[in-house]
Amino acid sequence: MSTNIIPSRIRIRSTRDIRHYLHTYPFKDLVDFFIEYEAKNRIMEKEDVVKRMDKALQVMKESVLKGKEHKNRTPSGLIDGGSKRVKQYTEKEHPDLLGKDFDNVIVNSLAVGELNACMGRIVATPTAGASGVLPGAFLTISEKFNISEECQVNALFVGGGIGELIRINASLSGAQHGCQAEIGSASAITAATIVSLFELSLDKIENAAAMALSNLLGLVCDPVAGLVEFPCVNRNVTGSINAVACAQMALAGIKCPIPFDEVVGAMKQIGDDLPASLKETSRGGLAITATGKKISKEMTDGDPRDPA
Amino acid sequence: MAIFDVIGPIMIGPSSSHTAGASKIGYMASLVYGKHFDSVEIKLYNSFASTGRGHGTDRAIVAGLLGMKMDDERIPYAFEIAKQKNLKYYFRKSYKPDHHPNEVRFVFNRGTEDSFLVRGISIGAGKAQITQVQEDRVEFGGDHAVLLLNYGDVPGMIGFIGDILGKYKINVAYMQSARNALQMSAMAILKLDELCPSTAVEDLKNNPDMHQVISIRKLNNEY
Repeated sequence: MSTNIIPSRIRIRSTRDIRHYLHTYPFKDLVDFFIEYEAKNRIMEKEDVVKRMDKALQVMKESVLKGKEHKNRTPSGLIDGGSKRVKQYTEKEHPDLLGKDFDNVIVNSLAVGELNACMGRIVATPTAGASGVLPGAFLTISEKFNISEECQVNALFVGGGIGELIRINASLSGAQHGCQAEIGSASAITAATIVSLFELSLDKIENAAAMALSNLLGLVCDPVAGLVEFPCVNRNVTGSINAVACAQMALAGIKCPIPFDEVVGAMKQIGDDLPASLKETSRGGLAITATGKKISKEMTDGDPRDPA
Repeated sequence: MAIFDVIGPIMIGPSSSHTAGASKIGYMASLVYGKHFDSVEIKLYNSFASTGRGHGTDRAIVAGLLGMKMDDERIPYAFEIAKQKNLKYYFRKSYKPDHHPNEVRFVFNRGTEDSFLVRGISIGAGKAQITQVQEDRVEFGGDHAVLLLNYGDVPGMIGFIGDILGKYKINVAYMQSARNALQMSAMAILKLDELCPSTAVEDLKNNPDMHQVISIRKLNNEY
């Protein structure tokens, strides 16, 4: 371990920068690096940074429980208790396609996505519309393996740090880069978080995130009636399941041929090239199908000047 | 901006711009007005007007005016709570492309006093800015404490303001001043690290050429 003094500001633009810091300065590990990064950049004490992440974890857990309890119906009818339906069906009826663990990912991811649509309290990870992805996969796995809360908090720093690279080099906004920047980023963050629960290997974490993001490149943001409901909530499930699959592949040693930083660059380029109609304006895709327009008309007081 | 912008903010859904940002505009607008009001007219522009209902934008704004933060679980019940507290509000809608897509205009009314205008925008990721206070174009988002001053367009006012700030050892992060030639008045907006102490505000108000002093605290760690 190096004895160099950790600088007062830490700036990262790539995984190479992270490796450089880890190599040059006496950070204990990747978790320690990201906690220090946050503390330095926010001018906060490290303990307070950890406390704040613990708060986020608690709210995330609460959002799963509440999302499963609530009726989860929206005025548009686009959301109507999907989480509960999947839970009840898989518990009592046939077929339960892949068993309880897989069901839990779907149920938990939907629970938070639906709770968000119904004005419940969530942690935007990285956005409100994608807030089900991380709890759906990461909390389900943490519970299955009885992982301590301290380790869960640590893992969230790693996932958040990987998301930070996307934020810095592209964006986490559907309005800027389409759904790939929301559900895609959430899935990459989640895959990284899951891997770091088991191995703090930057190589494997990077591969998991790179695969997860590359699987969802090109995903457009075309919400019906401009609401964070359809296809947003279902896509949270896609993001969760994709994250689990990519984390499993990365843990097994599969490498993403294109490095994470370059996948992020590709996402930015694709997002920049996407027309505005597919970036949260509800002027394209599912939003302007015949049925999409009909729902939109009902939900927006039918104002003719509304683009949706 | 850092990891807690990726894992966070903690907020009431469904939308960081249309719900969380909207509540923050309401919250900041009520801080700017800074006193009890009889009624408020709330005009929603563009995307806020068209998709606001489905996003709970209207409830979030009223919640913010009632002092609720973006993670307050009472936001969905803001209308009912407003009724209990006898807060009167009226919504208007406006579709104007020259306005920000997520903009709100507040007109506060109190007794026989002149009405008071505040305008704000939601800029994404739960962040919001106040863009107009009365006639003055401004830009602040709660990262700093703010001092907004209106005064007669006479020489020496900047020096006077500087003396007061110096006397109370207040450090200025940002300052802008401008003249409104039509009204023979001028305005200055100052962004400070900490809230301007009330004694300093009194000193500023004691100058006969000072017309209005609005002092707002920063929101950084509560939001």
